[in-house]
Amino acid sequence: MSYSETFKDYLANPRNAGELSDADAAAEQSNPVCGDRLKLSLRVRGGRIESARFLAYGCPPTLACGSALAEMLEGMNVADASRLTRQDITRAVGGLPARKGHAAALAVETLRTALSKL
Amino acid sequence: MRRVYLDHSATTPVDRRVAEAMLPFLTEKFGNPSSVHFYGQEARAAVDRARREVAALINARPNEVVFLSGGTEANNLAVRGVAEQNAGRGRHVITSSIEHSSVRGICEALERRGWEITRLPVYDNGIVRVEDVRAAIRPDTVLVTVMLANNEVGTIQPVAEIGSIVRERRAEGHKHLLLHTDAVQALGGMKVEVETLGCDLLSMSAHKLYAPKGVGALYVRRGTRLTPQNVGGHQERERRGGTEAVAFIVAFGEAARLARLELDERITHVKRLRDAFESGVEQRVSDIVFNGDRERRLPNVSNISFRFIEGEGLLINLDMQGVAVSTGSACSSGSLEPSPVIRALGRDDGLARGSIRFSLGKDTTDEEIAFVLEVLPRAVETLRRLSPLYQKAQAERACAPA
Repeated sequence: MSYSETFKDYLANPRNAGELSDADAAAEQSNPVCGDRLKLSLRVRGGRIESARFLAYGCPPTLACGSALAEMLEGMNVADASRLTRQDITRAVGGLPARKGHAAALAVETLRTALSKL
Repeated sequence: MRRVYLDHSATTPVDRRVAEAMLPFLTEKFGNPSSVHFYGQEARAAVDRARREVAALINARPNEVVFLSGGTEANNLAVRGVAEQNAGRGRHVITSSIEHSSVRGICEALERRGWEITRLPVYDNGIVRVEDVRAAIRPDTVLVTVMLANNEVGTIQPVAEIGSIVRERRAEGHKHLLLHTDAVQALGGMKVEVETLGCDLLSMSAHKLYAPKGVGALYVRRGTRLTPQNVGGHQERERRGGTEAVAFIVAFGEAARLARLELDERITHVKRLRDAFESGVEQRVSDIVFNGDRERRLPNVSNISFRFIEGEGLLINLDMQGVAVSTGSACSSGSLEPSPVIRALGRDDGLARGSIRFSLGKDTTDEEIAFVLEVLPRAVETLRRLSPLYQKAQAERACAPA
């Protein structure tokens, strides 16, 4: 199995890690089969995501997708964020091996759950 | 970038002396050992020399050594060869729950064809209990196959004691009971002597011993009959058909010679570094668990579970900083496959997912270990900062009364 350089960089230098104490919306989702977890917290001002943070446990794709998602959300309109897809996240991490697509799915699911709380 | 290789249980670099010994057999000494002419006889003599060296390493007779392609083939020839040869006498095989995937796979294949397999537990120290072996033997048992040292945690199994039981049973009339041991990981990490072990078959692989990949051997005790799995050639006394990989066999012979001469020195060296590594990790990283018996294990292996994080993430993080290690867990298609070996030790899924194997080699240096001790705590810390499990545990600790 091989990962892209972009992907590996998310693992070695994760961006947007942590939790927001003053989050407007937060969600934690897990993959019941493999036990991977992703926690996302968002601060929203005037319909725009001002700040996004993530925590993740599990296989490398879950960590990389969590980091890429939180990074790309910052500065994004809530409406645009709600349209993000698995493909957008997969692209952001430089691609995922065929059997690891569930990590991007978990990221989208966590994002949608968080946005539904706004 | 500085690179440190701590994955010698996966494979070892070819020793320069071994490479030099094999090179002429790729070019000018290219004969087929089956040929009668000069070229053939030159190759035949080289194969015979190598056979004597491999036999000497395990204290066997040269004609008890069958060269083949590696550990997996050796295990196939041993387990399938015995099972098929003795199908009329019984269809029961005893094995351990922590065998290498090749033995596991062969046993599963036999099971599908009607054999019964007993898989012995290993308890929390990663070692099979001799009483369990004794209790599992039935009149229709044809083979006990238990590895000499485990490939993931390095624990050394009581093969010599199992060998005594097998000999005892044979003396009592259970003539068709045989003992096989997969010594692929053990070879080069401990003294391996077939008489002491009392085994009838023993698998070896050259690439764990500073020789190239693609060659190995099966020790077959004189008088032990097994059904060949590669037919159509008279080589290796009809036990393994196919032209011998002369250059690779020569390399294996030289590697075996060096291993025999340098074994004590290599063991002392890797053990000192491994122990220094483990105490360094203990001082620098919290929430870790060492897997497998700390005494009865190979001197070059350290298997550690890091709580709150997952092995593959740590592996990639270390790799990006130049440190090569391995993990037994894998997650694919959204289904979790934590290391079956670590699970067999009774560890929970979290610990099985967070296990990493560090395996040292004869050329590992103090400086390399110091470098890994500098890199590892940072990598663990990076991943734990992301881990909701770690954050939760930290919060709970902060709230707990002192």
